[in-house]
Amino acid sequence: MTAGDHATSARPDVLEGPFTTPQLLRIDEALRTADDSTGLTFSLYVGDLELPVRGYAEKLHSQLAAPDQSVLVAVSPNQRVLEIVTGHDARRRIPDRSSKLAALSMTAAFGGGDLAGGIVAGLAQLASQAGRS
Amino acid sequence: MGAFELTITETVLVFVGIPLAVVAIIYGLVYGLAARSGGKRYRPGRPYTAAPVWYLANKHSAPEAHESHAREVTAVPEGELATVHYGETGGASDSW
Repeated sequence: MTAGDHATSARPDVLEGPFTTPQLLRIDEALRTADDSTGLTFSLYVGDLELPVRGYAEKLHSQLAAPDQSVLVAVSPNQRVLEIVTGHDARRRIPDRSSKLAALSMTAAFGGGDLAGGIVAGLAQLASQAGRS
Repeated sequence: MGAFELTITETVLVFVGIPLAVVAIIYGLVYGLAARSGGKRYRPGRPYTAAPVWYLANKHSAPEAHESHAREVTAVPEGELATVHYGETGGASDSW
């Protein structure tokens, strides 16, 4: 939780993450296409989750601008846990079974050490399940 | 014949020094470059030290979207967790 001691240092904070610049670009592209095609807001958190993991992920989700229309993908590489949280409206578009399916494909990639690849694939899967707005 | 008469020093230099130099160069290339570029790369089973990050798509470049995770979380009062209504959200959990 050392990130963000200075409000103006948003850029370095992002670069301190686990991803290289090409990976960041791919993730940004995936988030943007997911947002644009579905009208929902996709968000990605990578870092430690406090216990209880599910509750903490839901708390993060509730801090988004419009939680009902938002999907949070929370990945904790240290705890080896993935949480997908869908808001009230988003859940109608993405049933829990589809979330589970996306989670399975993401964890398959994570298990091989491919964080960025799993995230991009999972976001694409969630977005295609949600369909067009 | 007899053109290749090497002293002990030359023999050691050629047959030990050169291989050692090659090994050192390759070692430096592999680990030096890896430490510079992919030091924080996630490998399953190894500790993960990268700072927590929270991304939104670029079009939401509002100030709150760029604020870091730590700021957003500490901005929430302690009792906030109690106001989250469990069950209103869906999704999935998985581990690897």
